[in-house]
Amino acid sequence: MKGQEWYQADDVAEEYDDKRFSQGGQLIDRREKEAVLEAISPLSDRNVLEIACGTGRFTVMLAERGADVVGLDISAAMLQRGRKKAKRAGVSDHLEFIRGDAGRLPFPDDHFDTVVAMRFFHLADDPAAFLSEMRRVSREQIVFDTFNRFSARSIYNWALPMGSRLYSKSEVAVLLAKNDLTLVDVEDDFLVPYGLYRSIPNALASPIRSLDRAVGELPVTDHLASVSYWNTRVR
Amino acid sequence: MKESLLEILCCPLDKHDLELEDAEYDGDEVISGTLVCSECGERYAIEDGIPNLLPPDMREETPA
Repeated sequence: MKGQEWYQADDVAEEYDDKRFSQGGQLIDRREKEAVLEAISPLSDRNVLEIACGTGRFTVMLAERGADVVGLDISAAMLQRGRKKAKRAGVSDHLEFIRGDAGRLPFPDDHFDTVVAMRFFHLADDPAAFLSEMRRVSREQIVFDTFNRFSARSIYNWALPMGSRLYSKSEVAVLLAKNDLTLVDVEDDFLVPYGLYRSIPNALASPIRSLDRAVGELPVTDHLASVSYWNTRVR
Repeated sequence: MKESLLEILCCPLDKHDLELEDAEYDGDEVISGTLVCSECGERYAIEDGIPNLLPPDMREETPA
């Protein structure tokens, strides 16, 4: 897995939320949460597993809305932050954190209603194997995002600490078909890549985001979007 | 982790049940202890309330 050591360092975990999801990053955070909620509502009593849950950005939100959530990550430092966040939010009784390998999940077949993996597949060296393992433990739904090939993402990719795997739509379609997954919905967004949003203050990020949205609504720009949110159903 | 998590957790290698040994509790939370696979005997530590189910080849002492 790319950037494995960087990601697990204590100081990276400590600054992770501040660095990535403040300033213009808030817009990304909000958009991603919207995509996840839209895909998996209603959440009440739903059994959800999140792969690569990091500091619990999504797990805490899902638990607050009534889901029974398990968050899995490779980094002990990130998970401890998630655990504290869950305690503060008062959701510890239906949110558990587990350290583990996404390729060899410590759960029985068909256990979860939904498996979510946000910001995961761009780091996956063997996406087919990971998706198949997620499919094994899900009985109903898998939700994930990908960074797209042929987008603005390609341009600044080299500058990232972890590098990034980019996907074309047809690659994802093949992955879904191979794993007996049916596409329910795919949403494309962010003509302007995430990195730019993170590097600029909110005052600037909002107007750029409005422009991004307006241009993004034109049908012709669909395949230029840098991110896709996939909602799929187990066949 | 809560002890009820044992109902769903299994060994990442062979997917068999895990048994909890040497558990220390804080209220209803298991803070430390060891999870042992009932089939292959592999041992997984619970560290500060979070079970470490990384397969042996991915643990810290092994290079990634």
